[in-house]
Amino acid sequence: MPASVPRHPMAFQFEPSVVVDTLPMLMRGVWYTIYLTVGGLFFGFLLGVTAGLMKIARPWLARKVAGTYVELIRGTPMLVQAMFLYYGVPMAVGIRIPPLMAGIIVIAVNSGAYIAEIVRGAIQSINVGQTEAGRSIGLTRAQTMRYIIWPQAFKRMIPPLGNQFIISLKDTSLLMVIGVGELLRTGQEIVAVNFRAFEVYMAVAMVYLVMTMSIAKALKMLENRLINRTKRA
Amino acid sequence: MIEIRNLHKSFGDLQVLKGVDLTVSAGEVVCIIGPSGSGKSTVLRCINRLETPTSGTVVVDGHDIMDPRTDINYVRTEAGMVFQQFNLFPHMTVLDNVTLGPIKVRRMPKADAEHLGYDLLAKVGLASKADAFPEQLSGGQKQRVAIARALALQPKVILFDEPTSALDPELVGEVLEVMKKLAAEGMTMIVVTHEMGFAREVADRVIFIDQGVIQEEGAPKDFFGNPKNPRLRDFLGKIVGTGR
Repeated sequence: MPASVPRHPMAFQFEPSVVVDTLPMLMRGVWYTIYLTVGGLFFGFLLGVTAGLMKIARPWLARKVAGTYVELIRGTPMLVQAMFLYYGVPMAVGIRIPPLMAGIIVIAVNSGAYIAEIVRGAIQSINVGQTEAGRSIGLTRAQTMRYIIWPQAFKRMIPPLGNQFIISLKDTSLLMVIGVGELLRTGQEIVAVNFRAFEVYMAVAMVYLVMTMSIAKALKMLENRLINRTKRA
Repeated sequence: MIEIRNLHKSFGDLQVLKGVDLTVSAGEVVCIIGPSGSGKSTVLRCINRLETPTSGTVVVDGHDIMDPRTDINYVRTEAGMVFQQFNLFPHMTVLDNVTLGPIKVRRMPKADAEHLGYDLLAKVGLASKADAFPEQLSGGQKQRVAIARALALQPKVILFDEPTSALDPELVGEVLEVMKKLAAEGMTMIVVTHEMGFAREVADRVIFIDQGVIQEEGAPKDFFGNPKNPRLRDFLGKIVGTGR
């Protein structure tokens, strides 16, 4: 006999109107989610590009530092990272970071590790002949990276970056555990009042879906634009 | 123009060059032939330090490339290179491929660089392709753009690394024509090639490299007409055998 799920005392009845009514109430959470995603990914991208370039840099120490960073972050759950930063670190340093800032830091540090690998992989996928051709006309290493390798590598980064952006957006939901009033937590608060878990979480899911699909669409457009640029004439 | 003394190059345990001596004067056209793996491309790539020599000296137009004080980026502008696989920049137009060096390295104003670029593209017969992207060109056209790109820095010598080996047979001629024109204009050229007809017709001197050393060198007439080294004789015999 499978264990039966405890149900609401009254027979369950799906109320589509509750879904519709919930949507506007979620708006405050949507803004927090967008804020966390955009802020986290902005810094995460900077961090990821820096760490990715360090991983292929000549100095041994740069490679080691970046490699350790990526390993530590990839090897631990983001939920643990968030709780460690928000609840753990203040015990050691005596300062509590505001939840929103902590959330942005967690998203940035976490996505940065994955973006570093995306950047490194894309750069290394460019044929070594491109570097040689750049150097052979007298460009420095940095100029070759900037004018020859990066523009080609960036095009290859877009699909995996889009993937990471979507993952990071969804991962902001984990930040409810450190008290950021993002989308999922807002939904949870609504459920605590009206007990309509089915409808409310359905509305929450729909809003996430709209946001992730928007990211996918925007990146597809960017990719097409970059590809078309080398096909005219 | 170029002085190579006792050049050695190893990749790990593999000794590719075992003491190469070569002097090339201004205006000279030198063709290097030899079996694959003989180290002929490595010699070329040591001249502009795309490969760092293990030992020996390489002096390009008075610049010792092994000297840490030498600005290798400057030396590379003096020694242009044309690659077997063209290595055009696929994200740039043909014109931008040619003008990138003059603009970024020589700090030439964009308008002047484009003027130069159009002239060079006209010289290789591709003025009409200035706004095209590399992927729209045939192999022969790509290699001619690559030659224009190397010329754009007004180098003193051009290093050709098997420039026609990746081309369909019917496209080889158009590239060799451009190279002949350059030779006739007095450009110093070092050409690693399998095109014996080109070497015979255009080279001032032909060099046979095998097993990491120069086995024989001479004017094409003697080199091909009366080869002394048994390895060279064997090599030339095989090449005739394959119809090249």
